[in-house]
Order: sequence, then structure tokens, then C-alpha cells
Amino acid sequence: MRPVAPGDAPVVVLVRRCLVALTVIGILATAFELASERHWNSLEQLIPWLALAVLIVATTLFLLPGERGTVIIRVLGVVVLGASGYGVLEHILVNFEAGELDQRFADTWASLPLLEKGWYAVTKTVGPAPTLAPGVLGQTALLLLLATLCTTRHRVQPDPP
Amino acid sequence: MIFRPIRLAAASVAGVLVLGLAACGGGSTDAPSAAAPSAPVTSSGSGPTTTGATTGAAAPAASKVSANTASEDEIAAALESAGVSNPERWAEEVVEYRPYPADDPNLGKLRQNLAKYNPGQETTDKIVSALAP
Repeated sequence: MRPVAPGDAPVVVLVRRCLVALTVIGILATAFELASERHWNSLEQLIPWLALAVLIVATTLFLLPGERGTVIIRVLGVVVLGASGYGVLEHILVNFEAGELDQRFADTWASLPLLEKGWYAVTKTVGPAPTLAPGVLGQTALLLLLATLCTTRHRVQPDPP
Repeated sequence: MIFRPIRLAAASVAGVLVLGLAACGGGSTDAPSAAAPSAPVTSSGSGPTTTGATTGAAAPAASKVSANTASEDEIAAALESAGVSNPERWAEEVVEYRPYPADDPNLGKLRQNLAKYNPGQETTDKIVSALAP
């Protein structure tokens, strides 16, 4: 953890540590979930593992002393956010494409309005993919990004003479 | 410093690795051993082929292909000849969920994964009737 500067308010330090703790919990929980889902059946399914690795690197950088890596941490966080958004869209698309395989819609899927098919895909009425599950990666990255905001030092104003 | 950051980071990385390795180990128990058939096509001779679980439910398949080693096109062709609709899409799924245990002729793992798509019992039986581990 970065050293506590004299200008840091105790509450900022506490919030920063809580954000990092939540980030670590998010990483561990996501890894457990991906592993239990055997999320490695294709190259695309390895993307969240890659994003997790990026998050681990970013978190490790954050925990190192000094503030030299803040920009890199933020860039890595944004990359993970992007991967998370892609994951949500990909899950919706997978469900959408699985509509024709569902016995309830096999005969009618092609004739359904696009909006209705999209709704079924988003709500996982059809398809196997949990739509918002990849969002947890983005949420974890956001926690780390917020933690980097807490590290900004406020210059200590000199006492007036 | 109240707690040691490097140790925390190392513990996090180690935790993720342990989870991943543990899950990999669990997954490998499902994997077929070297006993998996290497030949892509198992001919059933001149008569129609049905498995015990699919008797009466699936259309007779002319031949079975290996779910573990056959190409996606071969699987799609086998599924088509078994009367499965959308054979290319189902072949994709069959390939995606490899490997299948060699000692499970009923392809329980495949059935479990196909169930996520809600294909119905008849379609599942047709798919499995065209495949062998």
C-alpha cells in the first residue's frame, strides 16, 4: 500500500484500503466463478481470464510504493472495462444466436421481430450465457480506478504567517 | 503501513492460481484418457444404429462419428443424416464442449451441456445417436 502522506485524511486512507480489498475480493470471486463454469472452451472464453490477469497486474502496481504507475493502472483498468463491456455484448449475442436451437422457438425464431429476439437474448429466455456476468470484471476495474483517485495527494498548505 | 502490500498482492495472485489449477484438475477428471478413440468414424455396418438411451426416440443414424476426434464438418454431416435441424450449429457446440469421457457411450457430459440450449429431448437424443465418444 502506498505510504500514508501527512496530508491524507484518515477517511481517504480507509476508503482507499476498502476499495483495494473489494478489488482483490472481486478478482478472487471472478476467478472462482470462471473456474467453476469451466470458462475455457474456446479462445473467446479465455478473454475474461486475460482481463483478470490484467487486473492482478494493475492491483499489484497499485500496491507498490510510489505513484509512478498510476497512469498505467488507469489504462489497464479502462482496458478491463472494455473487455467487460465486450463480454456483456458477446453473451447477449450468444443467447441471440441460440434462439433457433431452443425447442420453444425453433419454428418461429426467424419470423420474430428483432426487438423481441433481442429481449429474449438479454433476459436469457433463450441461450446459455448469463448476460450481465461479465460486468463484474468492469465493476472490479472501476473499484481499482476509484482507488487510484484516492491516492491523489492534496498539497499541504503552509500555515499562514 | 498497517498491512503488507506485497504479501497481499502475492497472496491474491497465489489464490487465483490455486483456484485455476484446482478447477483445471477437476476438469481433467472429465477428460477422456488416452483410450479415446482416434478414428473419426465408427461404422455401424449395414444396419441402423441406435444407442440404448435413444431407442425409439431418435432417427436411425447411418454411422456414428467420434465426438472427440471428428471434424466439425464430419459431425455436422452425421447430425444432418440423423435428422437434426441446424446441424452446423449443433456441431459447433459438440466441438466446443470437448473432450468427452471415453467410458460414457451415452455422452452424459454432452447432454448436460446441450441442455443449456433447451433443445428438447428428441433433438438431444438425435444428436447423441449420431455420436460416439
